[in-house]
Amino acid sequence: MINEVRNAVLSITNKNNYGYISPSDFNLYAKNAQMEIYEEYYSSYNKTINAENLRTSGTEYASIEQPVAEVLESFMVTNYLTPSANNIYNIPSLITTGDESYMLLKVLCYTNQLRTGTNTAILLNSLVDSTALFTTYGIAAGDIVVNLTTGVVSSVSAIVSNTTITLTSSAFLAIGNSYAIISAATVAEAEKVHASKITLLNNSLLTAPNTIYPAYVMQGQTIVVYPSTINKKGQVQANYFRYPKVPKWTYSTLSDGSPVFNQSQPDYQDFELPTEDEYKLVTKILEYCGISIRETEVTQFGMAQQQHEQPTFSMQQ
Amino acid sequence: MAYISQYQYYENNGTNPTDANWGSYQYVSLQDIVNNFLLMYSGNHSLVNNEERYKVLFHAKRAIQELNYDAFKEIKVLELTVPESLIFILPSDYVNWVRISLYKDGWLRPLSENIQTLSSNAYLQDNTGMILFDQNGNILQPQYSNIDFDRLNRTKKSIYLNQGSQFDGQYGWYIDDVWYFQYGIGGAYGLNTETANFNPTFNINKKAGVINFDSSMSGESCILEYISDGMEGGDNSLITVNKLFEQYIYAAIKYEILNSKFGVQEYIVQRARKDRRALLMNAKIRISNIHPGRLLMNLRGMDKQIK
Repeated sequence: MINEVRNAVLSITNKNNYGYISPSDFNLYAKNAQMEIYEEYYSSYNKTINAENLRTSGTEYASIEQPVAEVLESFMVTNYLTPSANNIYNIPSLITTGDESYMLLKVLCYTNQLRTGTNTAILLNSLVDSTALFTTYGIAAGDIVVNLTTGVVSSVSAIVSNTTITLTSSAFLAIGNSYAIISAATVAEAEKVHASKITLLNNSLLTAPNTIYPAYVMQGQTIVVYPSTINKKGQVQANYFRYPKVPKWTYSTLSDGSPVFNQSQPDYQDFELPTEDEYKLVTKILEYCGISIRETEVTQFGMAQQQHEQPTFSMQQ
Repeated sequence: MAYISQYQYYENNGTNPTDANWGSYQYVSLQDIVNNFLLMYSGNHSLVNNEERYKVLFHAKRAIQELNYDAFKEIKVLELTVPESLIFILPSDYVNWVRISLYKDGWLRPLSENIQTLSSNAYLQDNTGMILFDQNGNILQPQYSNIDFDRLNRTKKSIYLNQGSQFDGQYGWYIDDVWYFQYGIGGAYGLNTETANFNPTFNINKKAGVINFDSSMSGESCILEYISDGMEGGDNSLITVNKLFEQYIYAAIKYEILNSKFGVQEYIVQRARKDRRALLMNAKIRISNIHPGRLLMNLRGMDKQIK
């Protein structure tokens, strides 16, 4: 989609010889435009809920909530969080999970630790512990297996014997790695609590966080999970909306002084928004371009087109 | 919570305690209640929205506590032997007592609460009546007050007609086929029915957390029937509610949240209040087990002539 958007932008700006947009400028504008539209989806979602409560939205094909929700859900991911110290976990980032969290939707805590030990042999996609009695610990397929030495998380595929478990992916590449097996069946959703309330909550007799009703607070780039007995990799899993990947229009050669689109470049990244947002992207980028080349007509054109494109429900709010 | 198999119900899948699931179908767990409430009564399209889960949990527990105080009729029973110190330490989950009995010779004998005190604190005093203090300014206290000392030494008299009675063990004179006593037993003043009980008596010292008995209870077996608040020592996984009260709990949580929430119209609050009240009444009637079989048992005696 990114090439179509760029061609449309260049076409409009070049039509009246307003100017040329370089690939680096375009990529900059494309990133901002995508982010702006992405954030609009959240406010749009809120408006659709209000519209539903006002009975101005229907269901099935008349639903205005569903398309918005589906776009947002395309950015939803689930990953295990990495503890930075004790019960403090890093929120998803490029370093820890490979993507950045825009908003944490829910934090799940797995509190029932079935077994800890050290692996004694290496077998492909397996956990081998000659001292274990895996058939007696209540382990079931799907339970979480964490290599506490490397932080790699896998899950139980099958229990082969008392000493061997097959895993869904390889997690043990060396002997002597400590591991933990955590029940996937005992899961509790941690509640987000404001930092101003957590002390009171911890001191509350009836509602203090526990393994059935855990809680967490945001603290910088980390979350602090309560009770503090939740402190291992594999025990905390986050379900979150990630930021869209930064779009990049890539090119390989210059033909007649112009770059030629090449999507096979390793750093190529298309827009992640749905196709119906192409028009919005073009107008948003035009708005930026107009400001850049100091052509108010281009900016006004972009803004006018965006107004025209606004869905009906948002105009009612 | 998933439904359990018959084997799990009767034998707990062969693991101890095997009776863990007996009768469990009568109850719904706190986890289910909170989960169901958040799922069914809370959210973007519900009256209750933008509320933290811990508030739902709090109101659910409060409702369960209130039900345990009167509506549930779930009475716990504990038997202990009363030691020489004549105290019965209240159970860790004690909230209020229902009945205290002496179990002796195969009979359960309900005890009366002594209308007089059985125990007291005391301060040390000098011969002029001044209270004595230690170097830190704290009042010096004896190990026992006089009333406690007498009670422990079986010399305290009782207004009840039991072993501690002032008439117990008194000599009389048998003259011309008639017994004469030094003191009149009720003859002169009329029998006080409130204290006309042969059994031992007790007092509850709530702050001290003990039941004080009179000296005749020493070494005897005491059975305490009491109510708790249903919080199961803080273990959320064990907290349950009878299913007859499930809907009431939802209504109670909803009412409490709406009632304390800013900007909720009064008619909505009132609707929730009436809903809660009606459901409580319904549940109380249901748990009373008023059914034809029981009424029939009572009505069978209606034709009996009173002579």
